[in-house]
Amino acid sequence: MSNADADGPDDTRTEGTPRADGAGAVAGELAEPDHDHEFPGMGSIRRWFVTTNHKDVGILYVVTSLFFLLFGGVLALLIRTQLWVPGGTVLDGLAYNQAVSAHGLIMVFWFLSPFAFGIANYVIPLQIGAKDLAFPRLNALSYWLYLFSGLLLMVSFFQGASFSGGWTMYAPLNVPVYTPHIGASTAILALTMFTASVTVGSVNFITTIHRMRAPGLTMWNLPLFTWSILLTVWMMLFAFAALLAALVILSSDRLLGTTYFAAQSAGGSLLWAHLFWFFGHPEVYIVFFPALGAMAEVFQTFTGRRLVGRKYFIGAMLLVAIQSFMVWMHHMFLTSINLEIKTLFMATTIGISLPFDLMVFALIYTMLKGDIRFETPFLFAFGGLVLFILGGITGVFLGAVVLDYEFRGTYWVVAHFHYVMVGGVTGLIAAIYYWFPKMTGKLYDEFLGKVNFVLYFVGFNLLYFPMFLAWETPRRVFDYRPEYIPWHRLSTVGAFLLGLSFLVLIYNLYISYLDGADADGNPWKYATTAEWAVPSPPPLENFDGLPSYEDGNLTFRSESAGRGGEAAADGGRTDTPRSADGGAVVTAPETGVVAKTSHEEHASHASIWPFVAGAASFVVLVGLSGLQQGSFPSGAAGGFYAGTTLVGGGLLLYGFVRMAAERFHGPTMAMAERWPFAGVDNMKTGMWVFLASDVVLFGAFIGSYVFIRVAEGWTNWHHLIPADHVVLPGLINTYLLLTSSFAVVLALVFAERNNRLGVVASLIATVGLGVGFLINKALEWNHLFHVHSEAFPNGWELSTNVASSTFYLTTGLHGAHVTVGLIIALYMIVRAWNGAYLDDEAPIEQFGLYWHFVDIVWLFLFPLFYIL
Amino acid sequence: MSRLKLYTAMYIVLFVLATVQALVEMTGMLETAYWTAFGIIMVLSFLKALAVAGYYQHLRWEPRSLTVLMTLALLAALALTGAASYSIL
Repeated sequence: MSNADADGPDDTRTEGTPRADGAGAVAGELAEPDHDHEFPGMGSIRRWFVTTNHKDVGILYVVTSLFFLLFGGVLALLIRTQLWVPGGTVLDGLAYNQAVSAHGLIMVFWFLSPFAFGIANYVIPLQIGAKDLAFPRLNALSYWLYLFSGLLLMVSFFQGASFSGGWTMYAPLNVPVYTPHIGASTAILALTMFTASVTVGSVNFITTIHRMRAPGLTMWNLPLFTWSILLTVWMMLFAFAALLAALVILSSDRLLGTTYFAAQSAGGSLLWAHLFWFFGHPEVYIVFFPALGAMAEVFQTFTGRRLVGRKYFIGAMLLVAIQSFMVWMHHMFLTSINLEIKTLFMATTIGISLPFDLMVFALIYTMLKGDIRFETPFLFAFGGLVLFILGGITGVFLGAVVLDYEFRGTYWVVAHFHYVMVGGVTGLIAAIYYWFPKMTGKLYDEFLGKVNFVLYFVGFNLLYFPMFLAWETPRRVFDYRPEYIPWHRLSTVGAFLLGLSFLVLIYNLYISYLDGADADGNPWKYATTAEWAVPSPPPLENFDGLPSYEDGNLTFRSESAGRGGEAAADGGRTDTPRSADGGAVVTAPETGVVAKTSHEEHASHASIWPFVAGAASFVVLVGLSGLQQGSFPSGAAGGFYAGTTLVGGGLLLYGFVRMAAERFHGPTMAMAERWPFAGVDNMKTGMWVFLASDVVLFGAFIGSYVFIRVAEGWTNWHHLIPADHVVLPGLINTYLLLTSSFAVVLALVFAERNNRLGVVASLIATVGLGVGFLINKALEWNHLFHVHSEAFPNGWELSTNVASSTFYLTTGLHGAHVTVGLIIALYMIVRAWNGAYLDDEAPIEQFGLYWHFVDIVWLFLFPLFYIL
Repeated sequence: MSRLKLYTAMYIVLFVLATVQALVEMTGMLETAYWTAFGIIMVLSFLKALAVAGYYQHLRWEPRSLTVLMTLALLAALALTGAASYSIL
């Protein structure tokens, strides 16, 4: 898989002042503006709003996720306080349901993965030898969407009530009939926004890890933490696309009045379960894999031994990532799905436990073969392994159909998934202790770390193990049999102990950051990966040279040599040879002097527009939360929500246009390992990866339509559709879109021929045809809204039936894609008129990829919604 | 054949195939042999999608990894649709 190749401009955009060593650079970084002339120093608040640097964004993620940990933790303590006695009265019913729902949502979405990705943001580019992620502004945008989505969830508590139907949001509890408050809609929109953040982040990490690895760093030699993150983002890309589809449909049901999940809809509640768990089961591994990768790194470092069966361990992770999409129906054994499919999914579920067995034994055997040092990171990693084993074994019970009939909906499930999910948290605490010295340049307090572990491990087991014993307690209900009182009280005591352990963790990190002993580049005796070969914390652009593994060990080449592709080691060469995969011990380089030319263009690190786009998205969604049945309520409240939507929409458009127009130099690597996307530049790779997630998004929409139609009776469908719904408008729109695709291709041909007017004319034709498509659709919809027939005396509107709901929402989503494409095309027309694209037609090709994809989607919508 | 001629030929093919799909409906085949007509129409849609992806999106000339990527996404969507629909039969 090693195929380091050169493409694109060089990546050497560091400023011209040579540094004697990295540590000096760090000191300078703290005291004064960084060498990016628009980039403020770390002491400036402005820096944290404009930064796009992966290390800064990583710290923002970690700090923000810890805030949400406290938020979700306080809710958990409220729940446990309520359960001190059966039928507790601390919270009323609605408040308890909100606390349970928000606790689950916050911990799973706003704490666990963001905490892991904060660490990943910081560490991954360092581990693979990159200066940043492939798209730094998208990385910042991903963070701001995450932060503002969390704020939006908090706003939901002030709009009557937040969502109260449980974190799984089962239908029909998730529709306004059962959860009528505006805040419930806001919570759904907040999760939708979070999903957008995850998608943006996934595209970024996939592109980065596949295309920006140091020369010689083949896939097999990737550090295990990087492997785990790579597989996590691949799972995220597909799983979150399905969740996005579910949430968009649910938002439509709540805000526009479609009827997908209404109680009376054929298969409505089952449809939600399918969509949610197609996402939800991979989500278990999405949450756990980063912890697993971190645990593997910690095990290697603190046993002084390479992971036993390393390649098999990677293979097992790969297998689990694939299998995770084949087990979702084991969450639905108590529904009306047929026995054949239950049996099949029982088999696949038991099958997924096998690769995990291999991973667990690899970790255990590494301990047996190694020389263990019981320092805080290892204690947490080892604790995480023990807890995960317990969680895994108790999960196998739930994978068996017969046992699941007993356990589903009880505290057995609650105990099991907390052992798995919070077992993952245990691994991530190991990770934060492990990489804390790298991130801050300070050593944590070892004594406090051990106190933290003891409190944590005792509190954890005191909290969750009694739940197995009181397993017949019904889930999400604050009443239970009196004989369970002792177990529930033990749980509550354990909950407060666990909460205290997190306060010790945060206190330890805080005082260590302020007063801890200085950490050198590599504070661990047997650390093996590249991040330990640079100072702690690393300089702004990570490496004073181009990292390379081409001779089998990590070396640093001069920038100019790197551009020429010569294997010239310079003063940055490390003292001790090291490999990426844990084969040798690393030490920090003594020197990092690199010759740089004065005319080198340096990378950009500052942009305010990701923050603006995130804030504007928040404003838009606050406004949209006020929609009911497709319109804003009358009066001042309606005016507020409508006005907020308009202002937010305008700001969002402005933010994206300014971001597009901004001169920004992201990192590209002249020489890098790029398997399997060699020969495709970063931008195009990112676009294709995004389109892959869009395939799943539209696939889930089309799948929902197919599912509902099968539930209704495939050929017993047309009575739900008025006779006025005919083929011709769809056919005309097919012609219009096909022709517009041809026009985009012509724009590309004209750009290659340096024909400016041809490019402009082709793009204008594209826009004209796209507008024609939308006008035709608007005319068709308007006609269908107002049909009058015996079967449809009040027209055929979104809420008329499931056929109208699926038709309007699916073609509407497609129309929204067309609209976004038209906005981009209009922007490109202006640029083309000014002569852009003649020397570089890549943007037209990238736009074309999107536009043609929209065309392809229509090629399926046309027969499904107009002919069949 | 130059790229422009190829693109033009593909456009004509796509246009014709879309028309054929509509003609299948207009001939009344859906009333007489629904599932045969269903098969023809969906196969034509897949052919059109392959033509657009292969030639307009240049997948034919790109590294195979991109084709694999899109195939995986399509398989995920089909797995969800197929298994979910089967579960209620």
